[in-house]
Amino acid sequence: MRPVPPRGERSVAPLAFTPTLCTLCGVEDADPVAVGADFEYRTCPDEFLAVRCRRCGLVYLNPRPADAEAGRIYPDDYHAFAFKPAEYGLVYRVRRRLEARRLLAWARHLPADARVLDVGCGDGFHLALLRDFGPPTWTLEGLDGDARAGAAARANGLEVRGERLENAGLPPATFDLVLLIMTVEHLPDPAATMRLVAGLLAPGGRVVVVTDNTDSPDCKLFGGRHWGGYHFPRHSYLFNRATLTRLGELAGLTPVRVVTAMSPVNWVYSVRNWLDDWGGPRWLVNRFGLKSVPALAAFTLLDTVLNLFNRGAILHGTFAKPGAAK
Amino acid sequence: MTAAAPTPDRPVVVLGAGLAGLTAATYLRRHGVPVRVFEASPHLAGLCRSERDPEGYTYDCGAHFITNRLAAAVGVSATCRPMPRYGETVWHRGRGTSYPFGLMRSPRYALSAAAAKIGGPFRAAAVTAADHYRGAYGRKLADEIALPLTEAWSGAAGDELAAAVGQKFATSLPRTIALKVAAKLTGRTVAVGYSSTVPESPHVWHVYPDGGIAAVCEKLADEVRDAIQTRSPVEAILVEDDRVVGVQVNGERIAAAAVVSTAPVHVLAKLVRGTDRLAYLSRFRYRAMVFVNLKFDGPSGLPDVVTWTPGTDFPFFRLSDIGLGLPWLVPAGKSQVTCDLGCEVNDATWAMSDAALGEQCRAAIDRIVPGLAARYLGSRVVRTALAYPVFRTEYEADRRRFEHGTGVAGLVSVGRNGEFAHVLMEDVYWRTRRKVLGLIGR
Repeated sequence: MRPVPPRGERSVAPLAFTPTLCTLCGVEDADPVAVGADFEYRTCPDEFLAVRCRRCGLVYLNPRPADAEAGRIYPDDYHAFAFKPAEYGLVYRVRRRLEARRLLAWARHLPADARVLDVGCGDGFHLALLRDFGPPTWTLEGLDGDARAGAAARANGLEVRGERLENAGLPPATFDLVLLIMTVEHLPDPAATMRLVAGLLAPGGRVVVVTDNTDSPDCKLFGGRHWGGYHFPRHSYLFNRATLTRLGELAGLTPVRVVTAMSPVNWVYSVRNWLDDWGGPRWLVNRFGLKSVPALAAFTLLDTVLNLFNRGAILHGTFAKPGAAK
Repeated sequence: MTAAAPTPDRPVVVLGAGLAGLTAATYLRRHGVPVRVFEASPHLAGLCRSERDPEGYTYDCGAHFITNRLAAAVGVSATCRPMPRYGETVWHRGRGTSYPFGLMRSPRYALSAAAAKIGGPFRAAAVTAADHYRGAYGRKLADEIALPLTEAWSGAAGDELAAAVGQKFATSLPRTIALKVAAKLTGRTVAVGYSSTVPESPHVWHVYPDGGIAAVCEKLADEVRDAIQTRSPVEAILVEDDRVVGVQVNGERIAAAAVVSTAPVHVLAKLVRGTDRLAYLSRFRYRAMVFVNLKFDGPSGLPDVVTWTPGTDFPFFRLSDIGLGLPWLVPAGKSQVTCDLGCEVNDATWAMSDAALGEQCRAAIDRIVPGLAARYLGSRVVRTALAYPVFRTEYEADRRRFEHGTGVAGLVSVGRNGEFAHVLMEDVYWRTRRKVLGLIGR
């Protein structure tokens, strides 16, 4: 975490913005739900508006930062580029085990010659898990629109290209599993990306989408400003079970399972953002972050219970391309 | 409600390049709808314009500040500064009482309000503003404060005004208290009573953009510059078979798929040709306002950013200490107080000389802050013919009918003047989007 400048300081120029429509409805018919700032990385002096579509319930930023601002709103120390074991210690090891279990469950039915694509793979954390715990016969590929992520992943010995999906020129109908893990919310047009993904899937192939859940108690509680899931200004679109299901259906995919899952991260960041924004003491603010084991443990417990009632902090959506698997 | 599908040869025409007109134009453009904006004056921003004089004072015509939420929606938040301070005081019986907590502590008002609440379920729904205020706040507070203030700004007695006057402004008392507590906790000037269209929230507070409120309009205009034509008053809105077919600008007829008007409604009534459906709007009245800006050496000493003066012994009904709420708008070591005087165009107040208005307000303010008159440095007067829509009971039924639309296909009336509604900046922004939504055909 970079040092936080005092509130109200204007260290950098304003961002350029792009107006947004609901990616599912193609229209802006929305109510404002939150105003917030880049609490976590302080990359810009702007405040951002999240709105909820009156037609489908999708939450989205309007306006969102212009595409040209990506280099600024994703700083070099962004966690997806730099989730390193040395720095995160126990948290890294626990997350690795947890995620490996989930991943292997999704990959259970894959054939020996399966081709897997991770879209928005960051530093290749999940691809590395598949490589380390899956059969060596799988072909693993990754994409990330940010060149820095690709470089970090290649340093891990993975095949990752620093390109966006629309420019990657991947062969159609060839992938057995596509992963969008904490990716879809960052995209400028998730509906368009899902259509591309659907085109890449082999018949019977599956896509797994993991993203923040706007129907979760943490969102209900902190959703006016401080909810970690907003991740202002990097999350352009935020889903619940209904809108995520719709996202898959609009791309011609069949929903297999759209459920909530446990994650302490948004809870921890919601509390952190709230304390920080309302002038809480620094020692207390610093008790809440990706390296704070007690806070992560407490909210893991809480969200595990909530998830039993399908109110977990994140969503897992599995969608299938129609047709028989090979 | 579109009369015909918009095309580049037959666009949606927007009358007026103020906040409402530009909001409508950008919204349509974002949805791929061809649009043209005609503005009568040489300037953008309408009522949001402000002016800075060589000494460093700023004069706003209408709006004084916006919310951080509107700033974020428009994309100007980074150049906005939070208001360091906002509060309201009522000056009554020779002393100031803060709103709402000070008034609530006063037993005479609290008891009367409690009695009104208890009696509430047994009363018929209020028809006039007088009934509404007495029912909502109690007889004492209504008769001594709310009604005199309403009568001062509207120029009409409380029983000549519709109950809707009071209902439009109200934030419930529990909500007000919650928001004021949030303001104390966060040290932010949380907005109370500044948006009726979208919910108030502890996370929505007052800010002011660098370069004045007009910066909001300039930012919106950036998206549609090529579609804006200034010095081009729309002379007529052409209607056939109760559908908009075009407009007349500078004597030229221009085909239009729809028209979004921000004109005052009594003007709209005259602009529309080919139907008499909107003739009833010509009797709707707006209150004019004279803003007398007094300049003083040193701080004004007023108790709050806003001071309400319900007494008839004052020429003004409200004082705004600009330097207290927006210190960077006033030269260092000076203060600026805007006095609001309700009037009619060409009445005695409207016609009074600037110097005489300054002297009159200077003498009156000295009774609130004794000795302030001695530090008077001069004044500057701003007059506006269209400050507040007046909800007279005589046309209340028509006003309610108008709330549901113009009745002419393809004609939408938006904005503070166009809706004939007590709506502020943020309301205008959100309400305009909702009203124009019907024109995009999705």
